[in-house]
Amino acid sequence: MSDTGATWHELFANLGIFRDAILAGGLAGALLGFLGVHVVLRRMVFASSAIAQAAALGVALSFWLPAVIDPLGHAAGHAAGPGGHVIPSPLFQPVLWAVAASLLATLVFIANPTRLHLTRESILGFVFLASGAGAVIIGDRITQDAHDLTAILFGSAVVVQTTDLYLIGAATVILLGGHLVLWRALLFVGYDPLGAEVQGMPVRALNGFLFVSVGLAVALCTRALGALPVFAFSVLPAMTALALTSRIGIVFVLATVFGAFSGVAGFAVSFRGELPVGATETGMAVALLTAALAWRYVAARRDLRRARQTATSEAKGSNDA
Amino acid sequence: MTRPVPLADSTTSRAAPSARAPLPAGEALLEARALTVGYDGIPILPALTLTVGAGELWAVIGPNGAGKSTFVRTALGLTPPVAGEIARRPGLRLAYVPQQSALDTIFPVSVLDFVLMGLQGTGNVTLTSPGAYLGRARAALAEAGAEPLARRQLRDLSGGQRQRVLMARALATDADLIFLDEPTAALDAAAELEVLALIQRLRDRRGAAVVMVTHLVEDGLERADHALLLDRDHRVAFAATATAMRSAPDFEHIYARFVGRGTAR
Repeated sequence: MSDTGATWHELFANLGIFRDAILAGGLAGALLGFLGVHVVLRRMVFASSAIAQAAALGVALSFWLPAVIDPLGHAAGHAAGPGGHVIPSPLFQPVLWAVAASLLATLVFIANPTRLHLTRESILGFVFLASGAGAVIIGDRITQDAHDLTAILFGSAVVVQTTDLYLIGAATVILLGGHLVLWRALLFVGYDPLGAEVQGMPVRALNGFLFVSVGLAVALCTRALGALPVFAFSVLPAMTALALTSRIGIVFVLATVFGAFSGVAGFAVSFRGELPVGATETGMAVALLTAALAWRYVAARRDLRRARQTATSEAKGSNDA
Repeated sequence: MTRPVPLADSTTSRAAPSARAPLPAGEALLEARALTVGYDGIPILPALTLTVGAGELWAVIGPNGAGKSTFVRTALGLTPPVAGEIARRPGLRLAYVPQQSALDTIFPVSVLDFVLMGLQGTGNVTLTSPGAYLGRARAALAEAGAEPLARRQLRDLSGGQRQRVLMARALATDADLIFLDEPTAALDAAAELEVLALIQRLRDRRGAAVVMVTHLVEDGLERADHALLLDRDHRVAFAATATAMRSAPDFEHIYARFVGRGTAR
């Protein structure tokens, strides 16, 4: 890399090394971008943040518990060097714990807290804070793996494991396939739940599918990319698409494209500028939204000006008459 | 300012096609027998008995918080009764038209997409090929005088236009029994007349019964031929014809002063 940062040529020259991370970013952006339309429209933006935080806690637990159960074996693994850090059992695979913690958080989200005289937002706040505090406290207990945890929380992982890429790829195909079939049904259920239920729509099953798919997608992507870009991908591309068009079908397409673009372009820019990956991917999504809002503002001003001009000329015409 | 679009004349316009024969007038569609409604096994209203027949227009009246929504949810089969029973005609098709304010304006839903939702349900959950249903949706919009609005966003319409679109979805459902939640709330006089004409059309087309929930007591009694008076605070659940309702002691006691007829003034 040069003193002023890596060049695009270096990125292409090392594409084999970074290919998995770029693909993972693009797939995660596409999947979360699509799901994000439902997330934003149903006003459950904070849910994906809380679920991502829960996934991070799950990963932290997967590092910490083996050290508690078998401290000598764990320390010996670290002493053997980077290649010696062996996860003692398939039960402690970080991705399993991320998925389990995310689905648990999703169940909390599905539960109706009104009987406790609490709002869903407050329960989500509880999940977010409990998970965040838990991840930091546990991270403090597992200093050897703290860099892994930081990568998960803030998305600074430059390289993505092939297994994670395959999992994200499979989730993208399966979940996006399901959502392409069910998007109208999910829209109806989200927009007019009572009307949908009366007409015999399986409201609970559809909502369950949506929440579980958000939970799974967030868990798998958080393990690979980190909580920050995952939260960003599940909110910002959908907001950008909603700012640009009112045609719901186009909204889904644009959100998917913007999410994928943020993941791929964000990684490339982070390489070029030697910037943290997750934050740069998030920044790319922020930039797209900012541009869309600016365009929307300019278009609204232009429409208002035209409307005023039309009204003025009409008034003038009637006065002349 | 938007001009009201005239309702299509059912004798000359395309009507949303109905696949089934009209229901015999008065045939029982929904029967509540000693029905007690409430939450978690706790009754909120006294037991009530009523029969909604084909072609009838019912007004469910009562103040805010009277238990109207709980009754409607129970009648629709979404909440179990606390006691008694509720029987529906076998194969009864239900539809629910929400209050305008219940629809979140953040959703970018076009008028046509909204009416297409009326064609989703049991046996057609996904609506993966909406093109096959566009004809029915457009016919329903035409019948409601809302076809020119098909490509507009529902959230961008005036209150009267939006209510016509809601009614178009009810027409598209081809339902036997339609529940309307506050269908004339916040409408001007012209828009209200249009909505009432559409309610009449729902009844005429295939003998559908309409149950209209309203907190506007006088309006409900004027338009409906049957009424159900609910009042949780006064422990009242009383069904009668609209005419009989006006002279019922419970009604006189609770509402006469509001409708300018009464003893309580």
